[in-house]
Amino acid sequence: MIITTQKPLDEILDFISPYANILIAGCDGCTQPPRGLREAKTLSQLLELGGKLRNKNFVFKTTTVAKQCDNYLAASILKPQINGAEAVLSLACGIGVQTLAEIFPELPIFPTQNTHFMGAEEREAGILEVRCDGCGDCLLAVTGGICPVARCSKGLLNGACGGSKQGKCELDSERDCAWNLIYERLKKQGKLGLLKEFRPPRDYQLSGWKVTV
Amino acid sequence: MSQQVTRDIVAVKQNEDYCSHCSICSSLCPYQALNKEAETGKIFLDIEKCQVCGLCYSTCPAKAIDTIYYDLDSLINYLGKAKQEFDSDTLVIMCKGSAPDFSGVEKLFGVSKFVPLIVPCVGRLPEEIYFNALLMGIEKISVLACDEDYCRYDRGSPVTGRKILALNLLLNQLGYGQEVINLKRHSLKVMVDANLCIACGNCVFYCPYSAAKLASPGGINFELSACRGCGLCVAMCPATALDLENWERERISMLISKLSPEMEPPKILVFRCQWAVFPPLNGGLSPNIRFIDLPCAARIDNFHILEAFLKGIDGVLIAACSEEDCKQEKVSGKAQHAIATLGKRLSQIGFQDRLYFCTVAPRYPEEFDRELDQFSQKIRAIRSKEG
Repeated sequence: MIITTQKPLDEILDFISPYANILIAGCDGCTQPPRGLREAKTLSQLLELGGKLRNKNFVFKTTTVAKQCDNYLAASILKPQINGAEAVLSLACGIGVQTLAEIFPELPIFPTQNTHFMGAEEREAGILEVRCDGCGDCLLAVTGGICPVARCSKGLLNGACGGSKQGKCELDSERDCAWNLIYERLKKQGKLGLLKEFRPPRDYQLSGWKVTV
Repeated sequence: MSQQVTRDIVAVKQNEDYCSHCSICSSLCPYQALNKEAETGKIFLDIEKCQVCGLCYSTCPAKAIDTIYYDLDSLINYLGKAKQEFDSDTLVIMCKGSAPDFSGVEKLFGVSKFVPLIVPCVGRLPEEIYFNALLMGIEKISVLACDEDYCRYDRGSPVTGRKILALNLLLNQLGYGQEVINLKRHSLKVMVDANLCIACGNCVFYCPYSAAKLASPGGINFELSACRGCGLCVAMCPATALDLENWERERISMLISKLSPEMEPPKILVFRCQWAVFPPLNGGLSPNIRFIDLPCAARIDNFHILEAFLKGIDGVLIAACSEEDCKQEKVSGKAQHAIATLGKRLSQIGFQDRLYFCTVAPRYPEEFDRELDQFSQKIRAIRSKEG
C-alpha cells in the first residue's frame, strides 16, 4: 500500500482560505486506512469547525473515487460533481493529487496527505513500514523475500555491513538491519549459500520513469 | 480522577445478618465476585470484580443483597407512575442491550400501547416485580431479553428464561391463565450497505468476534450469529458502509439535532456506554446536559462528535467502561484510541479541551457524576474565557 499521513489542519486551512466552495475527494485505494467517504466527511467537519474559529464559512461537498490515480475513473466520477467547486482537496497520495490536477487544470487541487513510501502495516502495533522502493529489478527471490534496497538504510546489495549490531542498524538503533533479517530468513530456509553470491551494483536506469503496456 | 473519594459508595452490598450461606448467588455470579469461604461457609463480595448485573439481587432467597440500581422499591414506584403516563395494561420489560424503538416493540409483540420498562439486563428483576405489576392491574407482561449468547452478563438472559417458565406455571396454577408473561429474545446487529463497501477489510481486523469475512472475489460478508453488536466496525469503516441496528448513524444524528436546541449553554452532550453508567428510572435532566446511550463506547463515531460541535454543543464527554470491565471483547480500548486520535486533530484547530473520554463503572455510582461535574466546570471555564 501507499503510506500517507494526514497534513496538519492548519496547513489545509491555509490552502483553502481564499475559497468558499470546496470539493473533498476521497480515495478508496491503497492507503491504510483508506481515506474514503468517512475521512472526506470527517475532514469536512474538522475544517468547518476550524473555519468558524477563523470567521470563515466553507461549503464542502464530499465524494470518493475508487482509485484517484486512475485518470479515466477519477474523471468519470468527479467531472459530474465538480460544478461550483472553486478548489479540490484530495485525500489521495501524491499520485492521485497529480491525476486530479491533470483532469481539472483550471482548478487548484490541494493535497491533504503527505506521501511517504510503499509499505505495509503492522496492524496490532499501528506501525507502517517501508517495503519497496520500486527499483525495477526485483531481488526478493534471492533475499528470502526481504528487500534490502528499501529496508537496508544504505540500500546495500551485498550486506550486512559492519554496522549491524544485535540485529539493528547503526544509523538507527530502532530499525531492524535488513541484512540480518535476510540472514535469519535464509538460514531458516537452508539457503545461506545465496549470501556467497556477489551481486553487482544495480542499474539505476531500470527503475525508469515510464513503462509502456 | 480522585478515586479514594468517589469509591466510598458502592452499588451492591451484602447484608451478612440475612445471609443463609445458600450459595445461590456465588453459583450464579458470572464474574466470580461472590465467593464462599471454605472454612466458615460465609459469602464474600469482591466489589472490584462485580459488574452490577443484579443477578444476585434478583435471585437471593434471603434478600441479603442490596443494590442501589433498579431495586424493588424504585421499580414499583416507576411502574405506578408509568402505568398512568402510558395508560395501558400491557407491560413490556426490555433489556437495554436489545431493546428496539417503540415501532420495533410493536413489530415484536404486536402491541402499540404499552408501559415500557427498560433496564440493563432483565436478569436483575426479582420475581416480585411481576407479581406487583399484576396487582397494579397489568394484564399482560411481555419480556424482551437478549439472545442467550448475546447477553452482556452471560447468565442474565438464560436465568430470566427459566425464571419466567416457573412464574408462568405458578401464575397458571393461581388461575391467571397460561403464558401471562410472554418472553421473546432479540439482538441488535450490524447491517452492511453493499453499495458503499469498498472491500478494504478494516472490519475483518476490528471485529473482536471474527464475524466479518472478506472473500476475494466476493466482498464482505458478516456471519450474523457471531456479531455481538458492539459497533466498532461501524465506527471504523472508512467507507461508512456499515450501520448498527437501532443505533443507525441517521438516528443518532437526528437525536443530536433534536437535543442541541433544547439545551441551555454550556451545552454538554454525554455519549455513554449503557453498561458503564446506569441512569435512574425517573431521572430529571439538567437543562445543559443531555445523554445519548450507546451499545458500547466502541460505537462512538468521530462523525457524531464533530457533528455535535457543529450543532452548537460546547463539550462532548464520552463515558466508557475500562478495558477490563468491557462487556464486549475489550473494545473500549480501541474506542479510547480512536478518540485520542481525533483529539490530536481537534488540538490543531483549538478544540482539544472540549472532548473528554473517561472510564467509569456502575459499581462506583459517584464516579461518573464526578467526571461529569469536573468536565462541566472545564467547559464552563472555556466558555467564560471566550466571553
